[in-house]
Amino acid sequence: MRVASLTGPVLLSLVIATIFQLIPASGVWIFWRPNFLLLVVIAWILYTPDRFGIGFAAMVGLLADTLFRTTLGHYVLVFAVCGTIAFLLSRWLMYLSIFHRAFLIFIIIICAELIQAMLFSVWDVPVTLGHIPIVAAFAALSWPIVDLLISRVQVRRP
Amino acid sequence: MAVDSYTTWLSPLYKIADNVVRPLYWIANIPAGIQDWGKTSVISRGVLEQENLRLQQESLIHLGQLQRMSELAAENVRLRQLLNATELLMDSVLVTAVIGVSPSPQGHTVTIDRGRDDGVYVGQPLLDAEGLMGQITAVYSGHSIALLITDSTHALPVQVLRNGVRSIAEGVSDFNRMALRFVSPTADIIEGDQLVSSGLGGRFPAGYPVGVVTSIKQKPGAIFVDVEVDPSAQLDRSRHLLLVFTTGDLGRGRSDR
Repeated sequence: MRVASLTGPVLLSLVIATIFQLIPASGVWIFWRPNFLLLVVIAWILYTPDRFGIGFAAMVGLLADTLFRTTLGHYVLVFAVCGTIAFLLSRWLMYLSIFHRAFLIFIIIICAELIQAMLFSVWDVPVTLGHIPIVAAFAALSWPIVDLLISRVQVRRP
Repeated sequence: MAVDSYTTWLSPLYKIADNVVRPLYWIANIPAGIQDWGKTSVISRGVLEQENLRLQQESLIHLGQLQRMSELAAENVRLRQLLNATELLMDSVLVTAVIGVSPSPQGHTVTIDRGRDDGVYVGQPLLDAEGLMGQITAVYSGHSIALLITDSTHALPVQVLRNGVRSIAEGVSDFNRMALRFVSPTADIIEGDQLVSSGLGGRFPAGYPVGVVTSIKQKPGAIFVDVEVDPSAQLDRSRHLLLVFTTGDLGRGRSDR
């Protein structure tokens, strides 16, 4: 059976996520803005675990490192860990409702932020933990849109 | 991570990535551009007239202050000549606009729309209307990246305007806060003191506003006091900035090419 290529939709989704990530923000929104790239990566892994896994997450993490101008490897680690969690849970997560998946995203983003805080503290970058529940909540609120878009792309593929 | 942290071997990768994502920065900046266009284009005649009147009054006040400033500057030059001190150089500026902001809350950098073609060079100071913003860290042909003074990797020599006490202001990855390091409890610094760049180190010209001291705390048993500074510049809001060229720097960027 011929497997349809997902390169176009994946690239498009990553470009859109990057644009959302780059929109200039000010004030507290800088801290509260969800990591759209991470959300898109998790969505692709959840819907196509047979084609996208930890390697894909790490590659996008590398892109995030150059984009965020963080030390190369910083987001590779964060994305790989979150990608692993999403990959391990993908088999039974698909049977849950979108709201349950949003709750899982809340937990994954908290993990991602804690890993980031740990890495930043290694490099002596001052970190605050107060924003973590809020950024996780915003990510969970954004999740249904990402989930629906990626699932729709999946449905339309032959 | 270790290679990237301790060497510059991977810096070409950042340059390539920066050029690749440059169009995305432009697209991401469209909403802000539309907002700016809306502010200037969709405005009533009455508001424009009011603004015009206000600007005329402000211009008159500034012209009056400038006359006084010219007199003071001339007096300052005479006094410096009497002291055999070096003459202060006048700075020229180049207006620039922010076209990108670091998406990471911890990385305080902005991308501006001036680059090597405009004579911008690494280390060049950047101002907004309120005070010192940062310095240029990477220059490309049509754009540059500036590190803001609130970035945790940035430190800046400052002095208290009131009495000339010198210190170092460091960023703490917070747009609204900086810290003075290694300040003795006996140092003559009080809340409300205005800090300006001291010019030491030769990177930033002297006399530009940096911030205002907002709190001074001493932890029990600590040798130094914690001094917090509120930056003067609107670091997370300003969209139009000024690149400072001191007299010796004019054309430096072009010759570096």
